[in-house]
Amino acid sequence: MLRSIFPLGILLFGTLGAFPAVSEEALCDQIASYTMNVRLDPEKHLISGTEYLSWTNTSEKEAGELWFHLYWNAFQNNQSTFFQERARDGIPPPDFSIDDWGYCRIGSIRLVSHETKQEFDLTPFLEFRQPDDANVFDQTVAAVELPESLEPGESITLKIDFSARVPRPVSRTGVYRETYFIAQWFPKIGVYQNGNWNCHQYHAYSEYFADYGTYDVRITLPSSYVAGATGKRLEKKANSDGTTTHRFIQHSVHDFAWTASPYYLEFTEEFEFAPGKRTEITLLLQPYHRRLKDRYINAVKHAVRQASVRYGSYPYATITCVDPAYNSRSGGMEYPAFFTGGAHFLDRPGTGRPEGVTIHEFGHGYFYALVGSNEFENAWLDEGLTSFLDSEIYYAAYGEPFLFRRYFGIPVLFKDVTIPIELEDSSLISQWRRTWNMDRIQRYSWKFMNKESYVTNAYFKPELMLRTLQRYMGKEAFAAMIKEYSETWWFKHPRPEDFYAAVSRHAGEDMSWFLDQFIYKSEKLDYAVGSIRNAPRQALSGWLDGVFRQREPGLPEDPIYESEVTVRRLGGVRIPVEIQIFFEDGRETTITWDGQYRWKRYAFSGPAKIEKVLVDPDFKLVLDTNRTNNSRTLKAPKLAPLKWTSNWMLWLQHALEFLNLFGG
Amino acid sequence: MKFWINFRRGFNMTKNAARMVLFLFVLNLLFALILAVPMYHSLKDSFGSSDVGEKMTEGFDILWWHEFQDQSEGLETTFTPFIIGKGSILNNLEMLVQMKLFSLPPVVLVFGIAYIILQTFLAGGILTTFSRKKQEFTLESFLRGAGRHFPRFFLLLLLSWLFFFGLAGNLNLWFGSVVAKTAENALSEIAPFYLSLVFSALILFLILLIKMIFDYARIILAADGERNTLRALGNAIRFVIKNPGATLSLFYAIFAVHLAVTVVYILLKELVPETQATGILIAFVIQQLFIFAVVGIRCWLYAGEIALYRYIPSDL
Repeated sequence: MLRSIFPLGILLFGTLGAFPAVSEEALCDQIASYTMNVRLDPEKHLISGTEYLSWTNTSEKEAGELWFHLYWNAFQNNQSTFFQERARDGIPPPDFSIDDWGYCRIGSIRLVSHETKQEFDLTPFLEFRQPDDANVFDQTVAAVELPESLEPGESITLKIDFSARVPRPVSRTGVYRETYFIAQWFPKIGVYQNGNWNCHQYHAYSEYFADYGTYDVRITLPSSYVAGATGKRLEKKANSDGTTTHRFIQHSVHDFAWTASPYYLEFTEEFEFAPGKRTEITLLLQPYHRRLKDRYINAVKHAVRQASVRYGSYPYATITCVDPAYNSRSGGMEYPAFFTGGAHFLDRPGTGRPEGVTIHEFGHGYFYALVGSNEFENAWLDEGLTSFLDSEIYYAAYGEPFLFRRYFGIPVLFKDVTIPIELEDSSLISQWRRTWNMDRIQRYSWKFMNKESYVTNAYFKPELMLRTLQRYMGKEAFAAMIKEYSETWWFKHPRPEDFYAAVSRHAGEDMSWFLDQFIYKSEKLDYAVGSIRNAPRQALSGWLDGVFRQREPGLPEDPIYESEVTVRRLGGVRIPVEIQIFFEDGRETTITWDGQYRWKRYAFSGPAKIEKVLVDPDFKLVLDTNRTNNSRTLKAPKLAPLKWTSNWMLWLQHALEFLNLFGG
Repeated sequence: MKFWINFRRGFNMTKNAARMVLFLFVLNLLFALILAVPMYHSLKDSFGSSDVGEKMTEGFDILWWHEFQDQSEGLETTFTPFIIGKGSILNNLEMLVQMKLFSLPPVVLVFGIAYIILQTFLAGGILTTFSRKKQEFTLESFLRGAGRHFPRFFLLLLLSWLFFFGLAGNLNLWFGSVVAKTAENALSEIAPFYLSLVFSALILFLILLIKMIFDYARIILAADGERNTLRALGNAIRFVIKNPGATLSLFYAIFAVHLAVTVVYILLKELVPETQATGILIAFVIQQLFIFAVVGIRCWLYAGEIALYRYIPSDL
């Protein structure tokens, strides 16, 4: 029934030209569809216009009111929830002049069409709500009561006149010099689920959540501006006043972002990412990053090709990658079929920049855009899965990146050291190690202890958990699981239990014992070798059965060794772990310990001593906070400390000679 | 050309005083060993009897290093993969130019200050040796010269710190704020990058200029017999101002040699695999030869400066 909104829309809005001649079939029910006609005033940094919102009550309960996000009101004063939460992390609100603040204001909101309802001006009934923290200075959520409740399955169309002042960039959106990056900019309806509105305030460390629909957006800009947006540009019409109206359309998405600047270089090419499957890649590039053009485009190609195999065939006709402007603070962010990368003009191949962030932000096209994860309440279902996706794709495409550091702004590669996938951006495990006891993965985004905990629990810990899960389940089973999870939940809103179900199905067992320990608990994972003991078997000495025996002194020619290895669980996480034992005569054996109790001892008898023990030899337990204690050998090499002390000493000796400049 | 004549003279004088250079190098080595011993034990304890030792013999185990770094304190925090090869040199250059001395752990900073004071003491011996006709080195005469000049050299040291940290340090801060301000309104990262690079070069030039002026002040005290520290400093400034071409040319010629030796060291070091005892030993020898060369170049600079100072007729 919902897909039939299209012909209904055309019937109702044929005279207004509000709905498009859609060139493709919608991929899902279009629950919240927007037709917008807006104009940018670059002098005042003001966007004004009208949106027609067509919305369907898909819940089983009637809806008596409608809730909206007005995200840009987070930037309208220094007491918004957004700025207050950042201040708690030591980031004070900006010192803005009157022209720097942003806002999103509804001028009027009218019920304009319904099969059985009359037109009604809802504007007087609009009021701000603060469902999360009762902060009266925060106006990022507004609600309006309907004259009559909307029954389940019924649809409504609203006409909303609004104006949005583009802020100076603080986070993800704004205007810097003449470059506009516009995201979360219009009155956006929340998600109505089970008779309740899921419509949170704009928090410092959360992202977004919305329903799917069609976006048909006309944007009027100065003609000198190059524009890009979610979806395909259907039309570009020059106006007589020196402006151009760009019309973009995209169905089956839950957000629409756009950008405009006189400086972008625009590159477009058709790309066949699988036999018979094509998409149009557009790159909007800063002129000073011209030499990075091919690297950006190749990264997008790798991403769409591999993601389509692993997580489902990319369904949209376009992908737009934006190289963000310097100081725009819009880099590294995702929107449906549209995302920003991030680069420095000196970025070198092999460092992961800009390829890594490009693949990551494209990857959000799956676990944020196609799978409609609730980024407020289950950030990890997007960020964690996307972080996992981007490392899998990046490493498959480019191999391990080199360690590098900037000296005087110039990247210098240390090619002897590469970053394994378990570390990815080098801070993954370190940050997990520092913050493991702050929070658990599953938490509302703004309820983490601080920003570091949010990043760890939304991004790093889930990624490490998924890698551990992948190695526990096996690559094939895991790959099948994640593909099924992805494709099953396209255009829907999964919850953690839906992810659990997918994992359990493919693991062939209930995996909540595994997942709960990471998602709903905050325990450390640390298995270690406790001790190794080797002793030659002693002949009997003393009385037995009334007979006294005296042992011969010394060892027999071929002694039998009684050996023991003790392994320990030092953390709270309990998970089966493999123990690999090496003997001096070349034998080895691998045992699986259930990892439940605090320690376990294994005994062996044989002609050779235990020489080395490895806990988790295949590095399945990526979340183990201390891998150094996972191994013990009786023949510890002595060269390593000498080698590295020698290298370090050179640094010190050279530093002393440099310090001499300040003295004799 | 004045500077070329004295560039060569300085080299010959240093060659004649090779035993003194060796003595200074040994002091550098012994000083470094004082901290190297606890660092060795820290690494040995961290590797323990795990297989990290094997991995760190074959290469650099970055997973281990992150664990080490997360629990390291004090001296241990200076152990990073960025000290490998060229990293050591670049780290120190950055520390110098961006005046990050005070970001060093306290134990290293105190150690560094002690080394500076020691070298201030030894500078008297170096200049005494180079002041002689044949640059004979005996420990007794070296130390006697060092002791004789130390009080005035120490005063010069304190004065030089006013210049280094007062002038260059504040200039560095000001440059930083200019770069930050430029970056706030820049269209791209390019302008702030180049501005920062230019400022870094200016700071380096200023530091080296201050160093050179104070070298001549020490020379005037040691070789000329001047007893007034402030007058010696004033004369040194006048000498450099009157002979900018010769003094700067000599200084930067020897600096260029330092750079060339550094590049050769980096290239040679990268050729030696340090996976076996032999390789580690060869790498250590190359490292020490490099430090010996650096100490020698330091002496060469002093020798060249004395030669130049004596070469140019004095009207001070």
